[in-house]
Amino acid sequence: MKKGISLFLALAATAVVAASAQANHRTAASASAGVSCKSTFTLPFVTPLTGGAAFLGQEQMSWASYAVKTLAKSYGLKIKLVGGDTPVEQGATPAQDLAQKYVGDKSVVAILGPSTSGAVAASTQTYFSAGIAHLSPSATRSDLTKTVGGVKEGTPAFFRDVPGDYIQGPSDANFMIKNLKVKKVVIMDFQEPYSLGLSSAVDTTLKAAGVSTIRLSAPNTTTDYSAYVTKVPSDADIVFFPTQKPADAQTFAQQLLEQGKKAKVFGGDGSNDSTAFKVPGSYVSNFAPDITGIAADKALVAGWQKANPGKTVGSFGPPAYGAAQILMDAIHLACKADHGVIKSRRDVLRKVKQVSINNWILGGTFKWSTKSNDPLNAKFYIFQIQQNGSYKLVG
Amino acid sequence: MDTFIQLTVDALTLGSVYALIALGYTLVYGVLKLLNFAHGDVFMVGTFIGYGVLQLLGGAASPNVPVWALITIITLAAMGGCAILGVVIERFAYRPLRDAPRIAPLISALGVSFFLANSMQLLFGATPRTYNTFEIGNGELYFKGFDIGNVRIPLLRIITIGAAFALMVALYILVNKTRTGKAMRATSYDREAAEMMGIDINRVIRFTFILGSALAGAAGVMFALRVPTTVAIGFVAGLKGFTAAVIGGIGSIPGAMAGGLILGFAESYTQGYVSTKWSDLVVFSILVAFMIFRPQGLLGRADIRKV
Repeated sequence: MKKGISLFLALAATAVVAASAQANHRTAASASAGVSCKSTFTLPFVTPLTGGAAFLGQEQMSWASYAVKTLAKSYGLKIKLVGGDTPVEQGATPAQDLAQKYVGDKSVVAILGPSTSGAVAASTQTYFSAGIAHLSPSATRSDLTKTVGGVKEGTPAFFRDVPGDYIQGPSDANFMIKNLKVKKVVIMDFQEPYSLGLSSAVDTTLKAAGVSTIRLSAPNTTTDYSAYVTKVPSDADIVFFPTQKPADAQTFAQQLLEQGKKAKVFGGDGSNDSTAFKVPGSYVSNFAPDITGIAADKALVAGWQKANPGKTVGSFGPPAYGAAQILMDAIHLACKADHGVIKSRRDVLRKVKQVSINNWILGGTFKWSTKSNDPLNAKFYIFQIQQNGSYKLVG
Repeated sequence: MDTFIQLTVDALTLGSVYALIALGYTLVYGVLKLLNFAHGDVFMVGTFIGYGVLQLLGGAASPNVPVWALITIITLAAMGGCAILGVVIERFAYRPLRDAPRIAPLISALGVSFFLANSMQLLFGATPRTYNTFEIGNGELYFKGFDIGNVRIPLLRIITIGAAFALMVALYILVNKTRTGKAMRATSYDREAAEMMGIDINRVIRFTFILGSALAGAAGVMFALRVPTTVAIGFVAGLKGFTAAVIGGIGSIPGAMAGGLILGFAESYTQGYVSTKWSDLVVFSILVAFMIFRPQGLLGRADIRKV
């Protein structure tokens, strides 16, 4: 009797699995069928909307939303922007879950984001298999677009409109060497992809220039950095702190002052948030300049400020506006080529690299590099935090 | 030597916060034989109450009251808020299960923990909240203090360590020198016998939750004065507090204090002298070692049963 029940359960389980596989197959098939360009496209933005990096996602979302609101009509498109939350504290899982969800949605022909390198690494293969272009306005890890140490995590379907850490790392390190004349630098990482890549890039350039470096590693869940600050030598000039949680950069800088250490904190693009990281004298780097200083962006900035009263223009939002613009342009080009019905998501993917934008939001003209899915001639900017908490461009 | 002094100050700061959390576990376990796994989340709620009251008082940059009053008010508010939360949890999640098998209140405690963490996330989001104590009086909590050799002991550390020890001493006196404390000890020793002797058990248990939760609230503020808080902080803090309580001997008040300090020292010295990556490994190895060689903990009593 028991044997019979076991056999029945096994058969039932097999039937359920087979049925669900069949259902998945049907979903994927229907998702790849043609989509009329007159219908509403869903444009998901995969970014941290909650958690320690929520400041980044919220800012990006507001700019992407403004791009859709002001540009979609001019491309002849109806776009519905939706947020896909990937809190950095939850690792790869949310990005993977969202990728599965969007692949099954017929109205999704391109993805904005993922915003963080870890989320890209976790989901790029899924998007690539489904032929979905995904364009990040902030994932900077080098091996997402280039082969580093024999490894390339990104797929040909991944693009970014900001430069990678292969530019940020040397750029930050060279600023330390040439402008700050550093002799000893402490380099932290947080045992996750973004900081590990960036720390290594900075470390390599500093060592090549004969600067003494000390590596410290903290789990991504660390909140109290006292013991790490204790390990910072009193003669260290800089602590390179590539966190994705600006509040942690603030804590670390405060604890350095608390212990009377003279070293300044140097954060990467992940800590570029003037509302959370504001210890005077500290440095941050970012892939975008302050666009309020670009004359051609005056009307754009005014429009965004009107739509987002009380909010200040940061560095993460403008590349998100640009990314939304590129994807809308690519969808528009695919619509034109396919005579009003996008036959396959791969048609949009193929068009992304053909996009070129004059009057680019970050200044000049946007063009893709011919060697990788990175922007051509992009660079990083370095800011120093002033007494009043403002960020001043210094490099 | 400077490193040793600095690590010792770190250890005392960290250890005193762990000890306050551990006391909450130990008080409840002592009286109810219940592992209150929601305690870490009560601590988390305390950090948020402190944050809210700080904002009501004008924020760190321009508070409406002097610094000493500001810290006192936010600490008392967090203690009060957490005490009320503790009473509510006891009344609705544990009291109905008081005579149920021991696994039932344990599951209920886990449920309360998830309920608190998720409710807070819904209400306040997952964005870290920082007290910005650096902005109080242009950083006076960081720059004022005294020096031992080349090591500065800032005011913020002195306040944290001093307040934690003052609370521990007050609790020790309350439990050992007052009538209410005697009732708590009697209930802990034999609940039925205490009830027969006329002790109002419900009142004692309620008071125990008030005490434990208020200490968690105070620990929350002391923690968040120095580092940002999030709704996820309760899990880690609760785990460390529980570990401290077990190492010290769960049910023993001096044990919880000792356990918290042992944990603080182990964590700090490992990070300072061994490797920053290994501190959790060392902390939980100590727990495993205690479980194997002295399961009753440092100052706990072995559970002797007649067979």
